[in-house]
Amino acid sequence: MKLRRTKLYLPGNNPNMLLRGHLFRPDGVILDLEDAVSMSEKDAARILVREILKQGEFGECEVTVRINGMDTDMWRRDIETVVPCGIDGIRVPKAESPKDMQILDEALSEIEENSGIPIGKTLVFCLLETALGIWNAYDIATSTPRIAGICPGGEDLRADLKTDRSDSGEELIGPRRIVVLAAHAAKVDALDTVYSNVTDDEGLRRETEWIKQLGFQGKSVIHPNQIPVIHDVFTPTQKEIDQAQKIVAAAKDAARKGLGAVSVDGRMVDKPVVKRAEYTLQRAGLLEGGE
Amino acid sequence: MKTAQAGTLESMDCLVTASEVDKGRGISVSMEGASVARFGAAILKSTKETLKEMGVKDLKLSIQDNGATDLVLRARVEAAASRLLEGDGR
Repeated sequence: MKLRRTKLYLPGNNPNMLLRGHLFRPDGVILDLEDAVSMSEKDAARILVREILKQGEFGECEVTVRINGMDTDMWRRDIETVVPCGIDGIRVPKAESPKDMQILDEALSEIEENSGIPIGKTLVFCLLETALGIWNAYDIATSTPRIAGICPGGEDLRADLKTDRSDSGEELIGPRRIVVLAAHAAKVDALDTVYSNVTDDEGLRRETEWIKQLGFQGKSVIHPNQIPVIHDVFTPTQKEIDQAQKIVAAAKDAARKGLGAVSVDGRMVDKPVVKRAEYTLQRAGLLEGGE
Repeated sequence: MKTAQAGTLESMDCLVTASEVDKGRGISVSMEGASVARFGAAILKSTKETLKEMGVKDLKLSIQDNGATDLVLRARVEAAASRLLEGDGR
């Protein structure tokens, strides 16, 4: 199972961040050609990101590039530049329709074919930053096999919903629940938007615990300091790991004996409980498999 | 005289200014920054290689370095030269 607890945004025209971002050990990095780059620097950022993808080091990080939106004339140049470098995936802002994702899929396949990259290797992560994008979440998530995750927007989505930011984040409760439901129905990752107050660790922890409880697998980050907080929330505790190992062992024993449900510490263990325990062990890196 | 710039003076970056010169004048490069004394020859080599790959024969470049790695330098040289040659290019 690929862990996607944290994905760190790195501004596409900032050599310092682009070269050093992976050292903070996020699960993934997002080299950003979109909002972090001013219109006048798009060309320079594209060249810089290309060179860093070709020669830079990213450790164990999953490497993705946020391209400019499909409502601009820049997205094709973006993918033509970065996909031949052999990246893990791209992030598409303002994804709104499954048809757009199919157009993107075709364009990616053509570039992969011309670059000697296996067709379908480049994953797609969709940012659902409009009400329409959220509404179409399931159709977008199932539009092509490339889709590996969907993510609700933050500020853009709030603007489209004609609301603004509150401390509790209640304006995004509905969209987040829809994204989780659509992602799991489509068997892709549900990845949450950023927590923008980079100095509020307690608020970040609270929000991360909440989105984990909703069913998200991780969160985008805009500052390296946010990484350990989120990893801490998403990493199972030793107590959870011990309990999960006990459950998985009991289930294996029951299967060997031809039994259905068994009891662990006086509580019935059936299939969903075993599935949850296996997921805990996968997140702890102690069990292979998972989606 | 047409000029174009790319890069910044921030840490690990460099600011490259490309200026148009008459045909046949060749490539001239001026450099400044803390690393130039030690890495000047390497900076010059990378700059000339990048321009050669782009097919640029006549250009004046000024590089203000603030600790850019080789790949950042090459990217900034390419961006500045492209901007000069292609107009805006953005």
